[in-house]
Amino acid sequence: MRFGGTTALSGVDLAVARGERVAVVGASGAGKSTLLGVLDGSVTPTAGEVRVHGVDPTSLRGRELRRLRGRTGSVRQSLDLPGQLRVVHNVNAGRLGSWSAARAAWSLVRPQGTAEVGAALHRLGLADRMYERTDRLSGGQRQRVAVARVLLQRPELVLADEPASALDPALADTVLAVLGELAAERGGALVACLHDPALALRHCDRVVGLDSGRVVLDAPADSLTATALERFYGVTR
Amino acid sequence: MTTVLDRAAPPAPRLARDRRRWAWGLAAVALTAAALAGSGLLSGPVLNRGGFAQFGRFAAAALRPELDPGFLAVVADSVLVTVAYAVLGGGLALLLGAVGAVLVSRRTWGRRRTGWLVTRGLLAVPRGLHEAVWGLLLLNVLGLDPWVGVLAIAVPYGAVTATVFADLLDEVPRGGYEALVAAGAGRGTAALYGLLPPAAGGLLSYSFYRLECAVRSAVVLGLIGAGGLGYQLALSFTSLRWEQVWTTVYALALLCLLADVCGRAVRRRVAAPPSPGPGRDPVLTASVLAVVGLAGWAGWFLALSPAALFSGRTGEQLSYVAAAAWPPSTDPSLLGDVATTAVDTLLMSVVAIVLATAGAVALAGLAARPPAAGPLRRALGVLVRAGLLLLRAVPPPVWALVLLFVLLPGILPGALALAVYTLGVLGRLVGEAVEEADRRPPAALRAAGASPAGAWLYGAVPALAGPVLALALHRWEVTIRDTVLVGLLGAGGIGVLLSARTSAFDWPAVTTVLGAVVLLGFAVDVLGSRARAALR
Repeated sequence: MRFGGTTALSGVDLAVARGERVAVVGASGAGKSTLLGVLDGSVTPTAGEVRVHGVDPTSLRGRELRRLRGRTGSVRQSLDLPGQLRVVHNVNAGRLGSWSAARAAWSLVRPQGTAEVGAALHRLGLADRMYERTDRLSGGQRQRVAVARVLLQRPELVLADEPASALDPALADTVLAVLGELAAERGGALVACLHDPALALRHCDRVVGLDSGRVVLDAPADSLTATALERFYGVTR
Repeated sequence: MTTVLDRAAPPAPRLARDRRRWAWGLAAVALTAAALAGSGLLSGPVLNRGGFAQFGRFAAAALRPELDPGFLAVVADSVLVTVAYAVLGGGLALLLGAVGAVLVSRRTWGRRRTGWLVTRGLLAVPRGLHEAVWGLLLLNVLGLDPWVGVLAIAVPYGAVTATVFADLLDEVPRGGYEALVAAGAGRGTAALYGLLPPAAGGLLSYSFYRLECAVRSAVVLGLIGAGGLGYQLALSFTSLRWEQVWTTVYALALLCLLADVCGRAVRRRVAAPPSPGPGRDPVLTASVLAVVGLAGWAGWFLALSPAALFSGRTGEQLSYVAAAAWPPSTDPSLLGDVATTAVDTLLMSVVAIVLATAGAVALAGLAARPPAAGPLRRALGVLVRAGLLLLRAVPPPVWALVLLFVLLPGILPGALALAVYTLGVLGRLVGEAVEEADRRPPAALRAAGASPAGAWLYGAVPALAGPVLALALHRWEVTIRDTVLVGLLGAGGIGVLLSARTSAFDWPAVTTVLGAVVLLGFAVDVLGSRARAALR
């Protein structure tokens, strides 16, 4: 995957292989979220080239593009979960790529595939919240709902923007482990923006550091120590 | 891996349906079915083939409006009269509304539900009567005085504004206010710092929206004789001068467009101030000053004198009408008429609001300005918004007259006229709701491969359904009053009865009919408020 210059990102030249778990680190405003946006197609680069799953998304239209996009799942920083929906619907929204419009509409009346939704929520410790309204949940619980949505989507490339920012250490570990397993299960990759160096080192194979939209660090996780990474944060902060 | 994963699966929770919402939903479906069946839309002939030729002549005149300089001068003068009534009536209504809002806010009353219901009930009396009804009543007390037009707008609008302001304040998330109260602030101070700032945008934009509505009401008052564009429209219509009708309609549409553009510009400034520097926004200050200045000019232009309100003759008339109107008539045949026409009115309003809401939702995607769009989509959007503007620029009674060319008399022409007009209003409001909605959830779903329909259902609809239904319910409360207006000018329902009894100076019967009108409005108001609470 390659990207080229926007004001948020410039001269970024990165390739992520199947099976890799990449942590993207850097201070706020370094371009981490823009990088993920470029990957999931919500941000179009003004210059340069992006290939996702080996294909340039801008060359595709309609159904083909949807199929490609269905292979990438995101947990966004803003989560983007309509609070008025029950948790079960927000999780089921991960399956919209494979559901017909009629099935999607009927599911809002009679929730479909509740067994899978329940299993995904159970992995994240939220099984008892399945039928609650999403806006009644805490920030950390909503974050896990967004993760459960990606679990149901079963994408090959998993993008996660601060997926554990509102979670306690044990849950943060769970969420990253679940996301890593999800990517591995489908033979794909995980790209996660993380603020916690320890989490990055525990759950990722590779660490990419961004500063002002440029790659300033790209190293295997086992060559880095927590203190070295903390020093990196110290520099960019 | 962690304790979370090792825990045994708890029993699956059960889906508990929100029975209140289901009950409201089923009731709405039943009422809609009854209204559609009762309107005759589904049974029997409704088209009046004889009127097609006249309608053709009317429609053809749209392309060649009267442009004679003499007539244009008359129209220009009418525009000034209408603006003067609108600004004075609307401005006075906003003052009354600001005071009234404090009295009917849920927050003022807290858990004292009775007090809240009583004050809401009291407001239902002024707002339950249409501006035109107020006009008729005030005409009998004040005679031909400009105060008739001003007060006829200010009284019902003040009541509506009070309820809407109160709802806007009640719908602000409570966190900020409660935190201030918990920190020891008084309730008034807490409201100033915790409620007013988040609600200010909504209040200001609603104020400008009300002023725009006041323009249309000023036109309607003209239809019953208060002068201005409406009077001109009625004159041209009854003398079958379609070219003149269209000139007046275009003038009206332009006036509404002007109000619309100004209101929108102000609302944009409120939503996104251009520079976050200190001090007031000069444009906002100028708009508020402009409204105040216009009100001053209008008072001079209409030669409004406070003395007229308190003259001895006014007092005499008031006591005469009040004495004649009490006790209300309880004649059984009158009560029977009241009941049947009240049911007709209700059915008309339901048909109107259902059709208008369906149309507004269907057009919402086109009426909303997309953040980025090609020239074709942009042009289509402008076309749809211009169409909606024309629909709401023409008052419902005029739509009823037009529809009577092609439809047989009954409750359908009135209902459709109200539907067409309400579509113009709701289409704009729903379009704005769509514009203001968070676009990220549907965008996130599209990025994850969802179809447009799927992304709309799971990303956009959940956040919009509540506000749109709440808007529709608010408009239903307005429509029930407009139904009376359409009736006053002969299109069926309880308005026909009211106009007949008033022109016969049968004051006891007028009191009975007015009581029924207010009760009907109050019932719809309570239903709407309850249904909106179920939506939250």
